Amino acid sequence: MKQTEAGTPGNQREAAKSESAAVQNRKIHPVVIYPFKQPSDYFDLKALYELIARLDAEKDKYARPITVMDRKTHYAMERTKPFLDFRKNTVARHSDILDAWCVDTCQMWYSGLGMAFEKGGPEDVYWLIPGDFNYGTAVGQEVLGRLHDLPEIIVELQQDLCIGEIATDHNNSKQLIDTYGTFALLYNWFPAEAQEIRQFTERPRSEFLAVRRGFLGELLRQRWYAYEQTVVMLLQAVFSRKRISRFFVGNISDVPEGRESLASAMQQVERTERVLKTLWRERHESKAGWTEQYRVLETQSEQVLRTALIILQNLLG
Amino acid sequence: MTSKNMNSFGPLPRPIAKKTLRGVNFICNAPQAQAVSLVGDFNGWNPAAHPMRQMPDRAWFLKVDLHHGHHRYAFLVDGTLTLDPRAQGITRNDNGERVSLVPVS
Repeated sequence: MKQTEAGTPGNQREAAKSESAAVQNRKIHPVVIYPFKQPSDYFDLKALYELIARLDAEKDKYARPITVMDRKTHYAMERTKPFLDFRKNTVARHSDILDAWCVDTCQMWYSGLGMAFEKGGPEDVYWLIPGDFNYGTAVGQEVLGRLHDLPEIIVELQQDLCIGEIATDHNNSKQLIDTYGTFALLYNWFPAEAQEIRQFTERPRSEFLAVRRGFLGELLRQRWYAYEQTVVMLLQAVFSRKRISRFFVGNISDVPEGRESLASAMQQVERTERVLKTLWRERHESKAGWTEQYRVLETQSEQVLRTALIILQNLLG
Repeated sequence: MTSKNMNSFGPLPRPIAKKTLRGVNFICNAPQAQAVSLVGDFNGWNPAAHPMRQMPDRAWFLKVDLHHGHHRYAFLVDGTLTLDPRAQGITRNDNGERVSLVPVS
């Protein structure tokens, strides 16, 4: 009888031994999302890949880093020598490049985290590092010095998800999008979960995060959205009562190439609404009478969306 | 300055750091409180282990030596578990209460 065998002291010892081996062999998997738009110089990326080089050298702690590069980025730059040199001499030297055709950054996450997941062991931790930030500045260097805390918090404090939070001023487009868009929409579609999320973070769309293997496995098996994946991750974490932490990684601003225009800000709020709407339907469509409640929420959501767009237009337009 | 165990930023091998202790300052701004103590993983959440001292500016202060790593903690302000607004992170303790997080490197 299998159950009896599993319960014997010998088998328990074996199970404990293999768990302990998994802990001993635990690896942190850095996954770098290479900037979609190539910056005008490599100052910030060089600073980032100095960190990646050190991670790559620390083989007992870190798995070989992965860099996800959109093929569109590659083909846009394929005749540019500085890009080709940087790709070959720096990116490929310190990480495995995953070339992928992606509809959006979240698909780059999916591809990169998925590839890392397939290479990982049962106790491993996955660490997402966005490439399009100003790491070359003094503040950026400080941030680079703190990012490693995210996976370490997962390991040391047995957490499932750790969100890295960056400080911005009140009129920063990210702050405006989250205050008037993301949270307003979350409070409409998932009010209880939104309150729980806000107890931890003001940046539910942060791209700095680390996640434990068990939870990443659950996320990868579920429907993956093309955008605003951190919001979905946080919601899934709250739905399934996962352990969430937030860690302040510093003050940082996006590099100019990645900064939001009004059109981009509006698009992000619209995408958030679309994702939340779809997620709500998926969670409720098996319940009787869900369409009625859905229509009410949808009407409210349209009002929230309209208000958010007016505010963004007034402040960013 | 950069060496194997010292670096301006980024993760490093820490065989030495793991064993060393570092003094960490905790400040709790609760001028009206009668008693404030520091509780955390490092003292088994024991309210009697680390009482804080009220300073001339009426803020409560304590310096504690902590090992390398990430520590969960909170202030117990007149018996009420209180988050540190200056903390670098937030998480939950084993009782599911929201608590603060301090990294020690």
